[in-house]
Amino acid sequence: MEAFVYDTIYLRRDDFEDRTILFETWDPNAQYAWDAGVAIGRYLQGLKAGHIIGRSCPECSRVLVPPRMFCESCFCATDRWVTLEDTGTVVTFSRCYVTWDMVQLKDPLMPAVIAIDGASPGMGIMHMLGEVEPAALQIGMRVRAVWKPPEERSGAITDIVYFKPVETPDQGRED
Amino acid sequence: MSLLDRLEHAGDALTWRGDMPTEGRYTAGIAGERFFRAIKDEGRFLAAVCLECDITYMPPRLYCEECFAHLEDWIEVEPIGHVHTFTVVHHDLDEQPLPEPRIMAFVALDETDGGLVHYLDEVDPEDVYLGMPVEPVLKDPSERKGSITDIRYFRPVMGSSG
Repeated sequence: MEAFVYDTIYLRRDDFEDRTILFETWDPNAQYAWDAGVAIGRYLQGLKAGHIIGRSCPECSRVLVPPRMFCESCFCATDRWVTLEDTGTVVTFSRCYVTWDMVQLKDPLMPAVIAIDGASPGMGIMHMLGEVEPAALQIGMRVRAVWKPPEERSGAITDIVYFKPVETPDQGRED
Repeated sequence: MSLLDRLEHAGDALTWRGDMPTEGRYTAGIAGERFFRAIKDEGRFLAAVCLECDITYMPPRLYCEECFAHLEDWIEVEPIGHVHTFTVVHHDLDEQPLPEPRIMAFVALDETDGGLVHYLDEVDPEDVYLGMPVEPVLKDPSERKGSITDIRYFRPVMGSSG
C-alpha cells in the first residue's frame, strides 16, 4: 500500500464567494428561551418598574445584586427583597473598540462593573457607561443609571440605557 | 417567595427569548467535488474502487475504509439501483407538516457496494417495496448546481412494476 498525502488545501473566502468549490449552506433555526428563574425574573420586573432589586441573606446579612435565591457564602436560602439605589461606583471598566461580531468601532463601548449603592461592598452588575469621554473613565467614579422612558421598558437589563457620571463638587466630569 | 415556592401560573415565569444567527457550510471535499461535478456537467455517476478489497464505493471516497489505501481507480456506474429501505416523511426538520408526505429511501446502486439517500417519487407510498428497482431523475443541466439535489428523485424503473 502506497502512502499518499494530499497537499494541504486551505479554503478561502473567495472559494465560497466565487463558488469555485461545491458546498451546501444551511441556517439552523437557533431560537431559544432562557428561563430567568425566580430571582432574575423579579429583578427584570423591577427594572421594568424603574428599580434595581437585590436580595439579602439572613445569615451573613449581605445584600446580593443581581438577586439570587441562595447565599453562596452561607449555602442558605436568601429571604428578603431589597430595593437598591440606582447609583453606584465603577469597580472596573474597559474601552472596547470592537463589537461582539468583530465590527471595528471608532467610538468605543465602555462596559463596566458597577457596585450598586445599598448592596454589599463589591456587589455589582455589568453595564455600559455613557455621557463620558473614554479618556475620563476612572475606577471609583460615581455613576447613576439613565433609564429608558417607562413606556419603552421591557423587563430587560437594557431598560437601563447606561450609567453616567454623577456630578459632584469634588469629582466633576472635567477631571 | 422562598426558594421552594412554586409558580401558580406558567405565565409568571419570565423567559428570555433569543435567536442565534448561525450559518453552516458543508463542503463536498475532494472526492465529493469529483462525484458531484460529474453529475452536474455530464449526468454521469462515478464510484471509487478498491481493487485490493474488491469494494466499489458509492458515494466515492478518497480512502478505502477497509485497508486505508488511497483510491485512484474511479469508474462510471449505471445509476440503476433498488430500494434498500425507505420511510414516509410527514414533517420537516422544524416539525412543520409537509404539504404532502415524501418518501425517502436508501437506494443501493446495483453496480456498487453503496448507495444514496434520496427521495422516491412517481410512486405511491403503499406501492413501494424493498428491492424495488429504481432510477434517478436528474434536473435539466442548466439547473444543476453540483449538489445532491441535482438528482430530483428516484422513480421506479419504467416497465418494472411491483
